[in-house]
Amino acid sequence: MKIIILGAGQVGSSVAENLVSEANDITVVDTDPHLLQLMQNRLDLRAVVGNAASPSIMRQAGADDADLLIAVTQSDQTNLCACRIARSLFNLPTRIARLRSADYVEYPELLDDNNFAVDFSICPEQIVTEYIRKLIEFPTALQVLEFADGMLSLIAVRAVAGGPLVGHPLADLRRHIPNVDARIAAIYRGEKPIIPSGETVIQSGDEVFCLAATRHIRQVMRELRKLENPIRRIMIAGGGNIGYRLARSIEERYEVKVLERDNRRTDFLALNLTKTLVLQGDATDEELLESENIEDMDMFLSLTNDEEDNIMAASLAKRMGARRTLALINRKSYVDLVQGGPIDIAISPAQASIGTLLAHVRRGDVAAVHSLRRGAAEALELVAHGDRATSKIVGRKIEEIELPRGVTIGAVVRETGQHRLIHRENTPVMIPEREVIIAHHDTVIESEDHVIVFCVSKKQVAKVEKLFQVGFGFF
Amino acid sequence: MNLIAQLLPSSNVVVDLEASSKKRVFEQAGLLFENNQGIARSTVFDSLFARERLGSTGLGQGIAIPHGRIKGLKDAVGGFFRLESPVQFDAPDGKPVSLMFVLLVPEQANEHHLQLLSELAQMFSDREFRESLLKAADADEIHSMFANWGSDAPDQLSAAL
Repeated sequence: MKIIILGAGQVGSSVAENLVSEANDITVVDTDPHLLQLMQNRLDLRAVVGNAASPSIMRQAGADDADLLIAVTQSDQTNLCACRIARSLFNLPTRIARLRSADYVEYPELLDDNNFAVDFSICPEQIVTEYIRKLIEFPTALQVLEFADGMLSLIAVRAVAGGPLVGHPLADLRRHIPNVDARIAAIYRGEKPIIPSGETVIQSGDEVFCLAATRHIRQVMRELRKLENPIRRIMIAGGGNIGYRLARSIEERYEVKVLERDNRRTDFLALNLTKTLVLQGDATDEELLESENIEDMDMFLSLTNDEEDNIMAASLAKRMGARRTLALINRKSYVDLVQGGPIDIAISPAQASIGTLLAHVRRGDVAAVHSLRRGAAEALELVAHGDRATSKIVGRKIEEIELPRGVTIGAVVRETGQHRLIHRENTPVMIPEREVIIAHHDTVIESEDHVIVFCVSKKQVAKVEKLFQVGFGFF
Repeated sequence: MNLIAQLLPSSNVVVDLEASSKKRVFEQAGLLFENNQGIARSTVFDSLFARERLGSTGLGQGIAIPHGRIKGLKDAVGGFFRLESPVQFDAPDGKPVSLMFVLLVPEQANEHHLQLLSELAQMFSDREFRESLLKAADADEIHSMFANWGSDAPDQLSAAL
């Protein structure tokens, strides 16, 4: 595929990095030649220096022949303008824009074909905020990811002695919670993935990935470790874009304190947050943490722009008695260094948000992509199309499907044929009812099913996409 | 006359089309069907692209048969393009495509349309046929090759189905 990426910042470069390996022809545009040079040193791609939202630069970047535009500069206006130009002048078929301001998202008509012509918009800050919000809701999970608009969840949990299933074979899960259908998709013991079967015995320290209907995941987690007291008090270091969004979305339900270094920013935060306590100061300052009763905090979140600061602050908070600590860290080597040690959860903003973008880039009908274990593994939600003749999936039992080694089908989300009436902006709309079906060896895949697939290694993803592609005879 | 000849008007054969990518070829195809059959070019373009996203219609050996359903279309219609220089198509053998038959069918695709596809696939699996398409002097010669295909070997068609 021929792809143009606008913006060589953090989002742009991690998108490029993910796509370059997949035999795509990529051109990156940025005003900063230095950033482009850095990318070219690492990756095999073409670079164009200039203003991303101008027709001549777009032409130079190959817009006449491109299949996909990914506009992820820092500026919403540049991204919107670029999509419009790509549509009007170059008939570029698929256009994705990064939009940071919630303003635009509230007016979906602005993005339609008559206006800015954005096919899909993404807001990485919002995705990361959501991601963290889930981890506050499920504090013992390492990762909580949703599929099929939230109907189904995939959780990663570290098994701890004392959980009823720990030390027992997986087959016991059914006996323990007979009314809940769940699927253990993968187990990692150290760095080694174990393909689970009924006889596999879970050990303390295993990182376990389970799939279940979202309403059941608490019950499944309880099998793997004792539930802790729920989170009540939260301290956030850094009131930037993510810190602010998060505080705003959780301040009604939790006691929240935000530490922010910049006093102009604290003014803004104090004005826009109603229940949150806003404090000015440095989160790596031991005395400040102590005077703010860090030892009473159920969760300490380090969300500043500086990853070294985040590591220091979260480590300090942990040592001073904060129950659970989380830090934003971009560099993979740092994550490996600190996660599970002084910091309970390290989140890479780029990894967390890239999946949403990749879903639109992948071949075939991919509804969601989630990066797992810092990009080493992946979970996908793919839509099956066709029939027994044109698809390698549809009309077959799961045991009949030739899955690559290390790939498991965890669940299926299917329309029941029933409809439900809901009110959207005072207009009644009929939406199809859907059900979660946890995959068993004899589950038969139907056309239009959303199939949740777990790949223990990213290398298998291309094969999985191939498997889901329709055959030549499909109309 | 074979099934394909009936849906390929001579004006829908284009030789030595200059196009640098799959996208450009689909644009040209849209233009052709708009001019000759009155189907909006964006409808053709969107339909072909959407189908291609679900899986490539490249057959290998430099051949592709992009196809799509068109709302409101009464009868299936085809267009043949020989490209000046081959374009990337994600074909199973990874080879770029230089011969392309675009097939548009009504929204309710049925058995008949599957037959059309398999007859096309059968035609293009014949190496001699492919080579003569590449060598043909002009569009008229290509059109008559499609029209006459199978007439000297009546068994070929039934073998294909």
